[in-house]
Amino acid sequence: MQTISAVFAYTFKEHLRHKAWLSAALFGLVLLGGAIIVSALGADERARLLLDLGLAAIEAIALVSTVFLTVHLILAEIESRAIFLILTHPVRRADYLLGRFLGTVAAVALGMAGMAAMHLLLLSLYGWWEPLRYAAALGCVLGKTAVMGALSLLLSLALTSEAAAMSFAVFLWMLGHFSSEMRFLADRSGSAFMKTALVAFSHAAPDFARFNYRDFWHQPSPGGEWLFWAGAYALAYAAACLALSVQLFDQKEF
Amino acid sequence: MKGRWLAAAAALFALALFAGARMRRLHEPRFPPLSELKAGPFAFQDAALAAAGFRAPAADLAWIQLLQYAAGSLPEYADHAGHPYEHLSTLSLRVTRLDPSFHRAVLFSAGMLAWFHGVERPDEAAELLNEGMRRSPDQPIYALYLAAIAYQKQGDTGRMIALLESSFDAPETPSTMKAILANLRQSRGEHREALALWERIRASERDRSEHARAKAKIAELRAILSKPSPRAK
Amino acid sequence: MNAIRFQNVSKIYRRSHLGRVTETTGLSGLDLDVAQGEVFGLLGLNGSGKTTAIKLLMGLHHPTKGEVETLGRRASDVEVLARIGYAPESAYLNKTLTGRENLRLFASLSRIPRAAVEKSVEEILAKVGLGKAMDQRLSEYSKGMLQRASLAQALVHDPELVILDEPVTGLDPLAIKEVRVLILWLKSKGKTVLFSSHDISEVERVCDRIGILSGGRLVKVMKQEEWRGKTDALETAFTAAVVRTDGVGPIRME
Repeated sequence: MQTISAVFAYTFKEHLRHKAWLSAALFGLVLLGGAIIVSALGADERARLLLDLGLAAIEAIALVSTVFLTVHLILAEIESRAIFLILTHPVRRADYLLGRFLGTVAAVALGMAGMAAMHLLLLSLYGWWEPLRYAAALGCVLGKTAVMGALSLLLSLALTSEAAAMSFAVFLWMLGHFSSEMRFLADRSGSAFMKTALVAFSHAAPDFARFNYRDFWHQPSPGGEWLFWAGAYALAYAAACLALSVQLFDQKEF
Repeated sequence: MKGRWLAAAAALFALALFAGARMRRLHEPRFPPLSELKAGPFAFQDAALAAAGFRAPAADLAWIQLLQYAAGSLPEYADHAGHPYEHLSTLSLRVTRLDPSFHRAVLFSAGMLAWFHGVERPDEAAELLNEGMRRSPDQPIYALYLAAIAYQKQGDTGRMIALLESSFDAPETPSTMKAILANLRQSRGEHREALALWERIRASERDRSEHARAKAKIAELRAILSKPSPRAK
Repeated sequence: MNAIRFQNVSKIYRRSHLGRVTETTGLSGLDLDVAQGEVFGLLGLNGSGKTTAIKLLMGLHHPTKGEVETLGRRASDVEVLARIGYAPESAYLNKTLTGRENLRLFASLSRIPRAAVEKSVEEILAKVGLGKAMDQRLSEYSKGMLQRASLAQALVHDPELVILDEPVTGLDPLAIKEVRVLILWLKSKGKTVLFSSHDISEVERVCDRIGILSGGRLVKVMKQEEWRGKTDALETAFTAAVVRTDGVGPIRME
């Protein structure tokens, strides 16, 4: 635990001192400002627009920062050889990866929390106040962010090219929102091969479409049990990606 | 020992699949398939946002474009001469295809088509409402508007107005519809009722332009009501 | 018990590019024991296998063949790293953190109890002359200061075995003298020191034994008695033993 918390602490600090994190946080606030301006055009639906666009801005910034930070997370340490000094201490590689990952997710979560506080304040000024549902939507955004972070980390270790890892991460993000479509197509497909391939893809890709609480906010909302399973899904999927990352990382030489 | 992380990954992935199946069983988001978004000049905008997981914001932007069209400033959907609001249905269906819970888009357009002065296309409004009802069967206000259109066709304006007024304070009722109702009352010479409606609009609406309009109408109606009636002379 | 043991160790690097696999020998059949309390110098030209040997000791590389042991445990066992201090040829430290934060990180990673971390950090930073600069970020440090910080991280947990990769390369004469004093101080404390160098004069001043590596093979091992008091004995032995393997010919100025 001491190792994980030490790696976590330095990763967290490193991100907060990085210009990219600060720029992302500032850009997030600009996007929130944009949401206020755009929502002013929404007439009767101003509160809805402010809610949707604000949450979308938070998710977009969280996603971009997570993919960017996690893709560089290990590769940059290998490049700068800072990893030499870490791994020549009694640090299991799994602990190192977990500490780095959690530190990154925590840094992104802190940025999200700052944006969310600002967003909630704006919404409350407009007379909107549903903090529990808001927390549930934000939790789902964090779940997606954690899954994307773990996936990007895995891709960066598997592909060892930052550009390729980022492109694949974005592709998987898209694919994750097509999970229902893929199942729909599988049902309609006459070919057994296509059916199997589509079902396999729909299960292997992260099921982000069903995770979009902020997207189906205005529809009948799911209950606490759903939130529990959503949390379990995000944790298990992210942990599976991390376990695969450790498998790859264990074999690496520096 | 070499494959222990691989085994852990497989077990965790199986757990994720199980949790995902439970999620699907407990809740199913009601979104039409992406293939429905393929038509129109904004198809790329809609499909790109939906594919990236931003359907609700895409519907919000479509709503703004619908309002721009209604205000006469959306070049992609210009009306032919003599066909006011000919694309209103298309644009509101676009909103509901992106997010079927965006009821106000359907109600706004149906209200405009059925009751806005000079438009009067109740059949088109009914068609739109039926489509809205098909997508969101548990939304009662669509049926109420359909019933109001039926009364309108029968010439029973009184019952039509009474029915529409019953949904006046419903959160989905568009402010335009409220204004239409108040104007209908006024056109029937029911100034007190019209004034009461405008006062409710002023009390409930947060939109600045609606507020200003309500204020002006209240002043106008108060002036009418303060004049002695011809019978009193 | 030996502090270090290489038993018939070979390391072959395999690189594949567009389906073409190339193999390079890093080390070949290395047999070497370093006793506890000994100062051992690894001498060799560039590419002779010095850094490969050190990376195998630190678990950064895995041997293709043979066994590597440190302090009686296999080098791949991360637990043994708590008893080893390692400073690479350059200070691969995290530049976004301060000197104190870096040392705090390495102290925690080395399993120093939480309560003792702060004291150990301040003590070692004062010893390497960074007492006044410990709260500055490493991005503001000079090269000499970075080298001292790197040495501090290797020593913060009071290791039994200290491994220094090219510790005097690129240093000014004053700093070289300080490193020499440090190695002799470690020896006086009964620590085992293994270091690699090109600098024959430095090696002969501090080492109990030396090993000459050439082309990945240990071609000669000498004891202090074999060069002490004999002018140029080590240099003569070195030039006679090594063969250039990097394809570079000698400089001829006739």
